[in-house]
Amino acid sequence: MFKDLTLGQYYPVDSPIHRLDPRSKLLITLIHIIALFSARDFLAFAVSAGFLALWIALSKVPVSYMVRGLKPIIFLLGISVFFNIFWTKGEVIWQIWGIAVTKEGLIQAAWMALRLVLLIFGTSLLTYTTSPTELTAGLEQGLHFLNYIKVPVHEIAMMMTIALRFLPILTQETNKIMMAQMARGADFESGGVVRRAKAMVPILVPLFVSAFRRANDLAMAMEARCYHGGSGRTRMKPLKFSSADWIALGGAALYLAAVFIV
Amino acid sequence: MLPNIDRKAFFGYHYSKCAARIYLDCPISGRKGKVMQDIIRTEHLVYEYAVRNDEDVVESINRAVDDVSLNIREGDFVAILGRNGSGKSTFAKQLNALLYPTGGTVWLCGKDTADEENLWTVRSSAGMVFQNPDNQIVASIVEDDVGFGPENLGIPTEEIWKRVENALNAVGMTAYAETSPLRLSGGQKQRVAIAGILAMQPKCLILDEPTAMLDPEGRREVLKAMHELNEAAGITVLLITHYMEETVDADRIVVMQNGRVRMDGTPHEIFSRTDEIHAMGLSLPQATELADRLRTAGLPLPQGILSEEELVCELIRIRPGQETAAETAKPAQTPETAGRTAAPAGPEASAEASASAHEHRSELALSHVFYEYEPGTPMAATGLDDVSLTIRQGEFLGIIGRTGSGKSTLIQHLNGLLKPSRGTVSWNGEDIFGEKYDRRALRGKVGLVFQYPEHQLFEETVLKDVSFGPKNQGLPEEEIRARARHAMEAVGLSEEYDERSPFDLSGGEKRRAALAGVLAMQPEILVLDEPTAGLDPAGRSRLLQTLLKLKNEGIGIVFVSHSMEDVAATADRIVVMHDGRVEMDASPREIFRREKDLDAIGLAIPAVTRMARRLAAEGCPADPDVLSMDEAVQNILTAWK
Repeated sequence: MFKDLTLGQYYPVDSPIHRLDPRSKLLITLIHIIALFSARDFLAFAVSAGFLALWIALSKVPVSYMVRGLKPIIFLLGISVFFNIFWTKGEVIWQIWGIAVTKEGLIQAAWMALRLVLLIFGTSLLTYTTSPTELTAGLEQGLHFLNYIKVPVHEIAMMMTIALRFLPILTQETNKIMMAQMARGADFESGGVVRRAKAMVPILVPLFVSAFRRANDLAMAMEARCYHGGSGRTRMKPLKFSSADWIALGGAALYLAAVFIV
Repeated sequence: MLPNIDRKAFFGYHYSKCAARIYLDCPISGRKGKVMQDIIRTEHLVYEYAVRNDEDVVESINRAVDDVSLNIREGDFVAILGRNGSGKSTFAKQLNALLYPTGGTVWLCGKDTADEENLWTVRSSAGMVFQNPDNQIVASIVEDDVGFGPENLGIPTEEIWKRVENALNAVGMTAYAETSPLRLSGGQKQRVAIAGILAMQPKCLILDEPTAMLDPEGRREVLKAMHELNEAAGITVLLITHYMEETVDADRIVVMQNGRVRMDGTPHEIFSRTDEIHAMGLSLPQATELADRLRTAGLPLPQGILSEEELVCELIRIRPGQETAAETAKPAQTPETAGRTAAPAGPEASAEASASAHEHRSELALSHVFYEYEPGTPMAATGLDDVSLTIRQGEFLGIIGRTGSGKSTLIQHLNGLLKPSRGTVSWNGEDIFGEKYDRRALRGKVGLVFQYPEHQLFEETVLKDVSFGPKNQGLPEEEIRARARHAMEAVGLSEEYDERSPFDLSGGEKRRAALAGVLAMQPEILVLDEPTAGLDPAGRSRLLQTLLKLKNEGIGIVFVSHSMEDVAATADRIVVMHDGRVEMDASPREIFRREKDLDAIGLAIPAVTRMARRLAAEGCPADPDVLSMDEAVQNILTAWK
């Protein structure tokens, strides 16, 4: 009946990576990003690619599925390659109407593209292998220390939890309101920008009203269930580091060291 | 009760106070002492709130709860009845300290709810379930949500798991522990919400219209869960509802009006006072209503009949003499043979009659329509499966079927909002998905009123909102106004509503304003998806009257409903949907003769029909074909006198 909306396209299989603590995965993703941006030569990139390949193989997420995930950023990739090719100064190898393609430009563009692809693969693997709920728990418990510098970690995590729960509901609701206004002769397709923007009013007003009503209801329901912020709360599913987590983190540390050494 | 809470942190300095210590040391579960007899006690409870105008100046003070003194015994199942705005919900919210009294006192398990140091004990011992199942589930996984309350209470992890397991088990939702709430039905979601409260191990469960947004099946599930908890676990249940049938098994009924308690007694006592109930705009359970009308007309029936069985037994007891019975009783007909022999007012006949004044009758036809959701994906699902159907202007067509049977999908095809995967939809012979067909114009001819249509109101004033449709049709200014006014008049909204904000109206008024918004386009066929959902009895009957009036003015009505009583009382013809197919398409009489077939697909027959059939089966001279209350009264009176 409805689209199964999961943010970040969680790929539900059982793999060693899926079973890792979300906090380790967050940390490893961070290590991967640092490693990628400090990689300067071919060998470092090879290490990085090798690590990622192992990571992907362990995660059981099909490569084709990951490649499909690249689609939305092809445009971005194209732009950065374009600028790198034409705007890097150096040894000219080809020239047309005063625009020069340089050797350095080509090399830079290739590195940039490779770096971006490795980056996207690495970070999307996090969302492929970690459900939004786990991710939220990981962020809340992993970033707990930020509480000491007055970052409301629990509140942010609670907001994420609620957003995850209500986004699909509000999406369905938007569809429904749109249909209902179309049944009253509303036209969302024709006309210029101004007219189309105006045509959104009959959708946005009811949607906001409904979102506020839901927020109100939810706040009431949460209070009725003794919610009073993060203090004094226990956890039904506390995160625990297992030996697999230590192994994975150890591997990631080796990876980072390798990138720096080579 | 709250073993792991740092009481000092919660209750602050008050904790050291002597009085507070006495309360805290008396465990909620303690059955010792007189206090525990009454789990809830209110004394001269008053709740007032200020109504402010646009400039934030207090315009008036509204008294939502007015001097309520009520004691509720531990272990009771208490139903609270009352019209919308009678103060039921406001009263309920006082009981677990979601609102605080303006005057008077509320004690829960002997604790004053207004005392801040009791807050968490009060809230965890009186759990509250709300109307909208979606808006009270916090987490995206069922078990996580059930664990939310205990987490807040600071219960240790292993204990939370135990509680979650028990709570899900108690409402029969164990199999769904790891499911997303998005995949659950309304009834299942409400049961999860109840489990979420149970996990806090409350003494008392307060449910604020928990069944209002559910289909009959969901309603039964939730009602069953509530009764089981009450009986097996001894949990006190306070049920606020608009469905009279849900209250007959209660230990006690409290009826509220204008913030006051008007009646208080057993179901038997309350439903004996039929005149007062009607005067308050409430209705009676079907069996009570029928018994009451028969008694008023002179049959010797006792007061306070609540169930169908009771009434049937009583009527058998006073059945007319054996000889007369043999004369009047029809030969025992099986429903099937009856269907073939007598074919009264069929669809043709009735539609003909009601639309005789019209020269031209528009016609909407679906021919072999198939619809598939998300074709080509793993989520693909059949919405409609070979549906052929003709709807004519001037007829009143009822569509019944369980949730998910394709009713809503079907009606979105009627004005071209959904495009069939295969098959055609045609309006007066023209394919509405033909090239260049103006579907926006069609939507003015086939008006579609969605479920909870008041959720689409958006303008500053009611008149402007109602004008939205005609404005989209590109009519001149005066015509728009005239049509909007006419439509508002038709639903009973006078001129004084013109300039009011649609958001300030009551629930029933909003519903009618939204209906006017579609009527203003002057449709020839009006399609409504469960237009009475969530209304109180008075609002429901008012809306049905409006629909009948519109039909008499020559508009075709397509009425999707879960209420067999409503459909039987209004429709000329009924379409039964099941699994995306049209399972039956005939007159109400023929449809409801097929009780067994309906039962097989999870549908019931109207209560009066069911009672008449039981009587006929017992050899009483009752007509098993009666459909409405009026018919049943007529029939039984003539036969029994």
